[in-house]
Amino acid sequence: MIEFRRVWKQYQKPAWALSDVSFTIADGEMCFITGPSGSGKSTILRLITRECLPTDGQILVGGTDIRRIPASKIYLLRRAMGVVFQEFRLLPERRVFDNVSVPLRVLGMPAKDIKRKVFIALRMVDLHHRIWNTPAELSYGEQQRVAIARAVVNNPRLLLADEPTGNLDPDLAAEIMSLFREINRQGTTVVICTHDREIIRRFAGRVLPLREGRTRDREAS
Amino acid sequence: MSRGKIRRAFGDALGHLGRAKTRHAVSFAVLILSFLMAGLFLSLSNNLRERAQSLSKDVAVVVYLKATAAAGEQNDVAERARRSPLIASVRTVAPADAAERFLKDFPELKDVFDNLGNNPLPASIEATLRDPAEPEAPVIRLMDEIRALPGVEDVQFNRRWADRIRALRRLSDAVGLFIGGLLILISVAVVSGAIRLNILGRRDEIVILHLVGASNGYIRSPFLLEGLILGAAGGAVALGLVTLAVHLFPLYLGQSLGALQDLIGFAPLTAAQGLGLIAGGGTAGLLGSLAALGRVFRS
Repeated sequence: MIEFRRVWKQYQKPAWALSDVSFTIADGEMCFITGPSGSGKSTILRLITRECLPTDGQILVGGTDIRRIPASKIYLLRRAMGVVFQEFRLLPERRVFDNVSVPLRVLGMPAKDIKRKVFIALRMVDLHHRIWNTPAELSYGEQQRVAIARAVVNNPRLLLADEPTGNLDPDLAAEIMSLFREINRQGTTVVICTHDREIIRRFAGRVLPLREGRTRDREAS
Repeated sequence: MSRGKIRRAFGDALGHLGRAKTRHAVSFAVLILSFLMAGLFLSLSNNLRERAQSLSKDVAVVVYLKATAAAGEQNDVAERARRSPLIASVRTVAPADAAERFLKDFPELKDVFDNLGNNPLPASIEATLRDPAEPEAPVIRLMDEIRALPGVEDVQFNRRWADRIRALRRLSDAVGLFIGGLLILISVAVVSGAIRLNILGRRDEIVILHLVGASNGYIRSPFLLEGLILGAAGGAVALGLVTLAVHLFPLYLGQSLGALQDLIGFAPLTAAQGLGLIAGGGTAGLLGSLAALGRVFRS
């Protein structure tokens, strides 16, 4: 699903955000990218979503070299993935329904199908009863579940999460991680960037540790 | 673009317009003012063109005769004109006919005319040119010859009036183009500023839309439509105000201008000019949107 081949990334000279990073994440895998702040975790996600390009090396997503995707077609790459952020990135003045339906509206899906799919996604995160609330009326945990529903509502093949439990207490974090596990069981490749060792210890999966922009692949027990 | 996408883009654009009301009201007012000025100058230009055209229709050398001119002298003048290859036709206008024509053209001066007691207008001979665009030199030579004949008071060439009105029209067009153009440029900048603030206000939403796979067209189209709607509506309101001015001007100000009303008047805009005003408004709005999108998305 994802392949990094000797990827280098430099935002500003002389520091390197990533140095000669190579790894492969298979279809249907659940992978944690870990490391302290500034180790390059978010850079990896930004490269996968093609928010930025590598300085050197090759990145394949679903077999496509993302460097070769013209700027005007990047949206097609992003339609195949869902992204969850630490700070949720919900639209505060819009209702839960509107927030979750954004990826479907972008696809131009008929209103009837949008309603059905949003309801299914919200039921999966157990928030279908909050469909007409605004994010401000929800707790942090609920807001993150809305963000997850938005990320999976169009059944992406790949789900990326950047510190998804960073703003949550341990119980809520575990609840969110269980959701990711469930989404992964349904066949979606899940890549989670986190510095939370406890989360990694509790949820077995492949771990890709990053330190100063370099990788050292290992399996979590 | 499918109908659903167009409907969505329009819905979003109208939603944007409904949100930042003060910002849009200012842009709208500037657009109306700009296109109102452009429309008024266009209307003024139409009026001057009509006047110049009506004067050019019968380009003639007018020979004013002395009140003491004998019938023989009158005939000599007419005959001299008729002999010239430049002249197509010759018509004698009696003082009574001249008075009738004057009162038809300037009805508001009837009281003044009546108070004079007798008709001050002289008899004249109008010699129409074969070719209205005839070079002036041979015509002037003919005029000099006629002026030397006995019984002639004055000789005038009415094409000069048409030329003067055309020059006035060119001046009015230039002033209109300058003021209208300047205001339209300002309106583009104001629309651009309003839409830029809208875009910045929706930055978070745009980032999310990008990440969930929205194309550039999907994100930009509501902002483009926003400018287009704002501009076209501004142009349409300006057109309405110009039409109102065309109808109200003669009622409130026209009479007080007297004979000058012919020159400083407004003629209705043609259908093409009206549509042009609306399309121009839309284009100005669209350009404002494009400028705003270009600036924001570049940065």
